[in-house]
Amino acid sequence: MAIPAWIFLAFFSIIPLIYVVSTSLTKSTLAQPFKDFIWFNNFKQAVLDENFGRSLVNTFLFAFVVTTLETFFGFLLAYAVRGIRGLNTILRSIALLPMFTPPVAVSMIWKLIYDPNSGLLNHYLMKWGLTKGLIAFLGDPKLAFPSIMFADLWQWTPFCFILCYAALQALPKAPFEAAEVDGASGWRVFRKLTLPLVLPQVIVVFLFKLLISLKVFDLVYMLTFGGPGNTTQVASFYIYRVAFKQFNTGYAAALSFLMLLIITIIATLVTRAREIFMRSSE
Amino acid sequence: MNNRNVLSKIISLLIAIGFLAIILLPIIFVAATSLKIPLEIRTSGTLFPQGGITFENWQKAFRNVPLTKYLFNSTVVAISSTIITLLIAVPTIYTTVRFKTGGAVLPSLVLGTYVMPPIVVTVPIFAIVKILGLQDKLVGLILVHSMMNIPLAFWLLDSYIRNIPVELEHAAWVDGYSKFDTLLKIVYPLIKPGVLSTGVVCLIMSWNEFLFALILTYSEASKTFPIGISQYIGEHGMQFGEMSAAALAGIIPIYILVFIFSKNLVEGLGRSGVKG
Repeated sequence: MAIPAWIFLAFFSIIPLIYVVSTSLTKSTLAQPFKDFIWFNNFKQAVLDENFGRSLVNTFLFAFVVTTLETFFGFLLAYAVRGIRGLNTILRSIALLPMFTPPVAVSMIWKLIYDPNSGLLNHYLMKWGLTKGLIAFLGDPKLAFPSIMFADLWQWTPFCFILCYAALQALPKAPFEAAEVDGASGWRVFRKLTLPLVLPQVIVVFLFKLLISLKVFDLVYMLTFGGPGNTTQVASFYIYRVAFKQFNTGYAAALSFLMLLIITIIATLVTRAREIFMRSSE
Repeated sequence: MNNRNVLSKIISLLIAIGFLAIILLPIIFVAATSLKIPLEIRTSGTLFPQGGITFENWQKAFRNVPLTKYLFNSTVVAISSTIITLLIAVPTIYTTVRFKTGGAVLPSLVLGTYVMPPIVVTVPIFAIVKILGLQDKLVGLILVHSMMNIPLAFWLLDSYIRNIPVELEHAAWVDGYSKFDTLLKIVYPLIKPGVLSTGVVCLIMSWNEFLFALILTYSEASKTFPIGISQYIGEHGMQFGEMSAAALAGIIPIYILVFIFSKNLVEGLGRSGVKG
């Protein structure tokens, strides 16, 4: 009964990865696959490619900033509302909405909110006298990336909230009852009991969301198309451009391979770090 | 209950309400914008319509682009790919968890593909789909989406299968059930809530998927909802009213689904996240 899984792996990862590696050594284009074998020239070009380096930095910056904030706020919110049972069913149902909203629609919603003429944000910032002129959030090189990040925060903080909430609910009751009998203060219980008990799970949430964030594509494609300039160009988007706008699939394959390599190394490192961390906390 | 407790309850309640407001505000704003008069949209960003309500944007959204066709395509792709994903994932994960078929390698390989950014395989997937003659056809997208969701299904179903007491299955084997019969008659009824929430998540992920749909479909006849409406940005200029209506047309079915299955989804996500 495991054969379908092997077929899946063959078609979705093994054959594609062989294809990526072999294409990366050629001058392939979208129309002419496997044209001209050129050894590692694509990789040489990639290492020197400033745009690629910049896009990688952007990807990691994006992933770490949003994931840290989402996990932090998600946990804080879960901790804050853990006591109010009745409302929580409704709260968690509503909290499911952003993460399941099509990313394209999320982008449209935020494109509208950020718009200088029709947007909610500019309207109320002006009305309440917080800003003097209209702000082009997505057109300003300094504001564009934070604006994309904020849209991601809206979409994924509730996800982290739901997972952290479940982790808090799953904590054993006994130590907390004992602490209450001892008359320990709320802050002390939080620092000495809740946090150490729940931290491994919060780290899992963080890592899981980090892996999702490294794939970021839709929001950038829809909100800024990598602009203004190249300020919001992330790795997935840059590779997409090279492969499907410049039709340079050989070079795109080399870039894909490098991106996968870097993400695999990071994923391995963080998994190891987590294992070591969890062993030492036992 | 002493005063301190009352105070902390009130603070909790306020935080919860604030959180709800932040989640809902953007959605409410888009819904309100879709009902505003186009002239008002161009000049003002108030939360609620000031100059009356109109359904003009909704009519235009369905008239100016083949929105119904996009929604229909998305429905076909999402339902078909989810069925294929579940048919592959449920038996496979059952055997890998229970009989260690494929050893430790298979599950970690399958989950490992989830780490891989989809952009990495877009060039080869594009080539494979083209060789099979399935480019710009819904069948091609269905196959790609069903593959794409398998690691996710693995991750979501794992804890449900692990939680079944193995004694039940032993009893079934003693009674002469085959592995497959055991899965169908003993295991499946027990993991049904898990299969349901996994199915809903896969359905939504396929409905929402953008990158593969972007490179594999290009004619109006095969575009899915996300690709169809993405053209509102750029090609059609900024028709915010129409755009809001079109976006909502694809959001509403998802939200209805989420509300119907919210208990299952919260439970499914919570279990997968907590098990670590």
